[in-house]
Amino acid sequence: MDVVVLVKLALDTGQLRVSEGKVDVESTPLKVSDIDRNAVEEAVRVRERVGGLVHVVSILKYGPIQRRLQEAEGLLREVLAMGADDAYLVADEALIGSDQSVTAKVIASIIRRLGKYDLVIAGEATVDGYTGQVGPRVAAELGIPVVTYVRELRIEGSRVVAKRDLEDAVQTVETPLPALVTVTREINTPRIPTLLQIRAAVRKPIGKLTLADLGLTLKPTIKVESAVPMQVKRRGVVIREGTVDEKADRLVQALIQEGLLTPR
Amino acid sequence: MAMGVLVVGSIGDIGLVGLAQRFRGQDVHYLLTGQGDVVQLGRYGVSRVYQLTTGIDEYSFSETLTDLVNRGSYSIIITPVNRFYRTAVPMAAQRLSAPLLTDVIDVKPIDNELEVVLNSFGNRAQVTVKVTGRVLLMAPPARFKPSENPVNASIEPLQPRVVNVVKVVSTEGKAKGGVRIEDAELIVAVGRGFRRREDLKLAFELAEVLGAEVGCSRPIAADLKWLSEDHWIGLSGRRVRPRLYIAIGISGQPQHLAGMMESRTVVVINNDPNAPFFRNCDYGVVEDLYSFIPVLTRRLRDILKR
Ligand SMILES: Cc1cc2nc3c(=O)[nH]c(=O)nc-3n(C[C@H](O)[C@H](O)[C@H](O)COP(=O)(O)OP(=O)(O)OC[C@H]3O[C@@H](n4cnc5c(N)ncnc54)[C@H](O)[C@@H]3O)c2cc1C
Repeated sequence: MDVVVLVKLALDTGQLRVSEGKVDVESTPLKVSDIDRNAVEEAVRVRERVGGLVHVVSILKYGPIQRRLQEAEGLLREVLAMGADDAYLVADEALIGSDQSVTAKVIASIIRRLGKYDLVIAGEATVDGYTGQVGPRVAAELGIPVVTYVRELRIEGSRVVAKRDLEDAVQTVETPLPALVTVTREINTPRIPTLLQIRAAVRKPIGKLTLADLGLTLKPTIKVESAVPMQVKRRGVVIREGTVDEKADRLVQALIQEGLLTPR
Repeated sequence: MAMGVLVVGSIGDIGLVGLAQRFRGQDVHYLLTGQGDVVQLGRYGVSRVYQLTTGIDEYSFSETLTDLVNRGSYSIIITPVNRFYRTAVPMAAQRLSAPLLTDVIDVKPIDNELEVVLNSFGNRAQVTVKVTGRVLLMAPPARFKPSENPVNASIEPLQPRVVNVVKVVSTEGKAKGGVRIEDAELIVAVGRGFRRREDLKLAFELAEVLGAEVGCSRPIAADLKWLSEDHWIGLSGRRVRPRLYIAIGISGQPQHLAGMMESRTVVVINNDPNAPFFRNCDYGVVEDLYSFIPVLTRRLRDILKR
């Protein structure tokens, strides 16, 4: 059973760099989007149960490409160390800041080139955009069924059986393979690779591709004009000393002064 | 550019018409799911309503929506946000080869272009995007208020295109807390610092004295299931903007902060002096919640006489 995992190298939004009142995307570090680690973990578990291969597919969305390539490769080695067999990284100027319809077309084109695949796994959404579009878009592009927000996954012969976590219900569904599923953070706990696995990952192949290699030319449909960080000024008064009673008193006094409490 | 605007949603999502109205001079049509008062839509200037009364799955919905957008040549499609739409709408967007912008705050049509302002980067930044051509926009309906502009709305039943690729084997309802945390003025939010479900009682008692609602971090709702999902605050949960937000036993990861950044006053109670939340609070107390909360509740009960 061959599994494709979609991994985004996301902006580390905990470390957004700001310059002149704008988010400085180019100097903000990337990280493997958290829930994509759950996706990799699930893919590796599927392979451990039924055999096959785990391919990682990643599209570089943030420039500058030259400097990001090394960073991207390092991050992909992290998921290879978790047990994926190989990775494909598409880096191309035309993809920087492109919208997800373009991302999905590129991913689908790589998956088709792989020839054989049974299951595609993505995270429910990425930690930076949090739009959750790419999974369903890739499924639409490939013309395969999609099952989103999966918190339990089983392969039964040529079908997937999955439990979906919806707002007001847990739904159990089944669908034939090939299919695409997106997983939640709660589906598993991603493994921490051992030193040995980290070393072994250095030798695993990462195929670097451009749009020309894929025979694609794509038109941009959106243009990001600016990104202004939301900065909230907080007082930052932290009460560390004193007994529990004293601390409670100080807090209550502060809330009274803020006009949030009115003693009767 | 000629733009027809199509709003998608139930009658409860009517707020989205407020966003549609920002495309001045454009016809606004509505794909209404379920039952609803068509006259009410007409009052806000919706001139045509397509009514879909049968419940269908995401795949079928995406096909049905794609067909309707093509048939009506809509250039702007506006939808609410939930896991159903987050699944169905991107599929439709891909079939339409169009961008989908989520968490939209505002739109400004300028000549042949459209400027869209949205929250992004984990809700850490407001991003302005320029679009030419067809676009799908997703936003929480409560963010907008339509103004009255009465017209006679025509109504047309919509036949769905049903595609059975995913079979639902069973559905198990989840408990609902019955809170609308996004409307709460005062919130007491709980996190993994609570060791047992029963201990949440401490937070509920504090909330009761304050007249506050109880919210929570993702693990409390999604992992542990101690509270229903309508309590869940953050990037993947609800966005709140209370006057007072008291976070108890929550570490303050960026994905939690994403949901409560617009709170006016933030109080953090945590026994770890290095918890990141202390860098994002107005008042912080470094203390064990188990000893602190009962004392705080008692003090508040005294001064508020509740
Ligand atoms: C894409 C994505 C989306 C996410 N969306 C959300 C979201 O919408 N909402 C959300 O909340 N999270 C979200 N998360 C998860 C988020 O990253 C954190 O994992 C989560 O917020 C942590 O919850 P917590 O603070 O309750 O738990 P922890 O991080 O475990 O923190 C518990 C805190 O309690 C304190 N504590 C322990 N014992 C005591 C005590 N006795 N007294 C006082 N304090 C104590 C600890 O010091 C610690 O700071 C998301 C993650 C990802 C990747």
